[in-house]
Amino acid sequence: MASGVNIFCFTACYFAAWMLELAGLTARYGWHRLVMLAFAGAGSAAQLWYLIDRARQTPAAPLATTFDWCLLAAWILAIVYLGLVFYSPGTSIGLFLLPLILLLIGAAQFASQVPLAARQASQFWGVVHGVTLLLGTVTVCLGFLSGSMYLIQSHRLRKAIPPLVSFRLPSLEWLDWVNSRALRWSALTMGAGLLSGVILTHMQHQTDPDYRLWTDPVVLSLAAMLVWLITAEIFRLVYPAARQGRKVAYLTLAAFVFLVFMLFSITVLDTVHGSKSHENEAALPRMGVSV
Amino acid sequence: MKLRMVGCHHRHASVAVRERLAFNNNQAEAALVSWREAYPDTEAVLLSTCNRVELYAAAEGQHLPPCSKSLAEHLAYFHQVPIDELQPTLVTLDDDEVVHHLFRVAASLDSMVVGEPQILAQVKKSYELARGIGSTGPLTHQFFQAALRTARRVAGETPLHRHRVSIPSIAIADFASRIFERFDDKMVLVVGAGEMAEESLRYLVDAGARNLQIANRNLRRAQVLAEKWHGTPVAWDHLYERLVEADVVISTTGADQPIVTLEAYRKYVAPRRHQRPLFILDLAVPRDFEPTIGNYLETYLYSIDDLANTCNQNRQARQTALPAAEKIVSQETLNFLAEARYRTTVPVVAELQDGFRRTKQDELDRLFRKVPNLEDRDRQEIEQFADRLIAKFLHPPLESLRDISRQGSPRQLVESLRRLFQLKE
Repeated sequence: MASGVNIFCFTACYFAAWMLELAGLTARYGWHRLVMLAFAGAGSAAQLWYLIDRARQTPAAPLATTFDWCLLAAWILAIVYLGLVFYSPGTSIGLFLLPLILLLIGAAQFASQVPLAARQASQFWGVVHGVTLLLGTVTVCLGFLSGSMYLIQSHRLRKAIPPLVSFRLPSLEWLDWVNSRALRWSALTMGAGLLSGVILTHMQHQTDPDYRLWTDPVVLSLAAMLVWLITAEIFRLVYPAARQGRKVAYLTLAAFVFLVFMLFSITVLDTVHGSKSHENEAALPRMGVSV
Repeated sequence: MKLRMVGCHHRHASVAVRERLAFNNNQAEAALVSWREAYPDTEAVLLSTCNRVELYAAAEGQHLPPCSKSLAEHLAYFHQVPIDELQPTLVTLDDDEVVHHLFRVAASLDSMVVGEPQILAQVKKSYELARGIGSTGPLTHQFFQAALRTARRVAGETPLHRHRVSIPSIAIADFASRIFERFDDKMVLVVGAGEMAEESLRYLVDAGARNLQIANRNLRRAQVLAEKWHGTPVAWDHLYERLVEADVVISTTGADQPIVTLEAYRKYVAPRRHQRPLFILDLAVPRDFEPTIGNYLETYLYSIDDLANTCNQNRQARQTALPAAEKIVSQETLNFLAEARYRTTVPVVAELQDGFRRTKQDELDRLFRKVPNLEDRDRQEIEQFADRLIAKFLHPPLESLRDISRQGSPRQLVESLRRLFQLKE
């Protein structure tokens, strides 16, 4: 990159912050939190710089490619992490959130850098599609995160395990609040993402009789996740015992499994959303407008 | 510096004696007012808690604090207790011992439950009360401020206060607060009206609980406790209904059988709660809630045994923190005493400095008269030279005074300085 900031810079920062979180399980010093924050802050600043630089080079970025899309989702989670460190200092949220950020950056490495613009037909629907799926991914990740922490905290409380200075989690009430909202917003944003994607595809392939939307693994995994999310939300609304607590945690954990499959489809499988194998198509003439 | 303390505390006096000598706020005020009238040249602070009643007296300059008998009589007279009955349980401390004692008390090293945090506030409140009445002065001000500073150092630099050791405090701070983010919107149901119920209520109210419901077989006792804590008394017949609505339950009855069986919970409570989180602290022995109730989803049931392990771990953790805490108290005691002793040398130091300054000024005037053509810059240079010379001459004796003050009374050295430099008494 012209700025000198590359993926290694911010990945290393997040990794160092995660290592410090792990080291904090055995011993914490006065400077611990400060250094951890410094690494995470430096990582998010470097990543933002990197994304801005990408946007300068590729006018439609940061949603132009699945590569940028994954990096942007990781950056939003990094900002959420920094916010949570200030909101709930002393908790071990980074232990769970930082690996998710690293996972998304890792997924970006397998994702295509071919602009999706070549396959899109409408700027408006393209933006709606990209943004809603981005928000959906972030909310599903947050749901998974709060669900995991809920189950661990609940287990520790059931076993009457005393709190440790080195490993503190937020209260069940707070985790439950995040969890139930994450489930609702995941359903809404993923639904909007799928709907906008269908509209986009219809506009793009209306003249192509051979195109089959429902053979795309990304579309299939997204549709499956949406069905799951809607079912889970209806279940939650109809069945009072599932409105809070452990059941919501399980529902959000399952949603994350669908998300992992969707990310796998985007990054590894040969799909319309682009994988590494599509990179040789980068030279295709640009059609429509970019996202 | 002259300090004296007379009082009784949990290690030497029984509860019965401490109760007879205890002062509430109004009584403490009255006692200090009468003290001030009786001994106008002496400063005094009265510290009265559940575990101790201690009267601190201090005098500066030529005055001496009243003898220990007078202090003891002042305490006994106020409560109309014969002094002979009290004498065997009273403790008397002087000067260095008083400083070390109060610093340990404020840091909660002398408490019945070592590390309990309330004592710091109680020491502060006692001092503020005395200050409001006007029975304090510069010595007690420095003394109590140093005690509070020591306590804060112990709290900040050692893990002594981080480990709670009473079952209700562990239950609320280490377990209930991991379930609930806040308590002001939660319903707290206290079953039973004993001492443990009251202690738990105190922690819950401190944590922010507002909606307090108290159920007891004897409704009158529930009403008394409810009135005291601004809660609502609950008739025993409505226990299950309140259990359905409650978020936090503290149970401390003396029943010889469980008051909530698994069958009753399964039938009347669980289905209507819809798996809403419920924190139950069962402090009763034998237990009030059948232990299998804790197997229900989102029901977190703790008995004394469940929390005893945490309690013991915390006690051990406090024990390991004690040496560090004692070290801080010793350091602060030495620093305070050294500073206090050094302050007694201030008049001599001031006199010594004045004498040198006067001599310097006389000599400078003589020199400037002899050499009148000096420029202002040269005069300033000569004056600065004289100041530096005096500072360097005075530095060794002043440092020696400070060193001696760290080790003990500087009286002998002060005397020597007076004689050497012919200073006035």
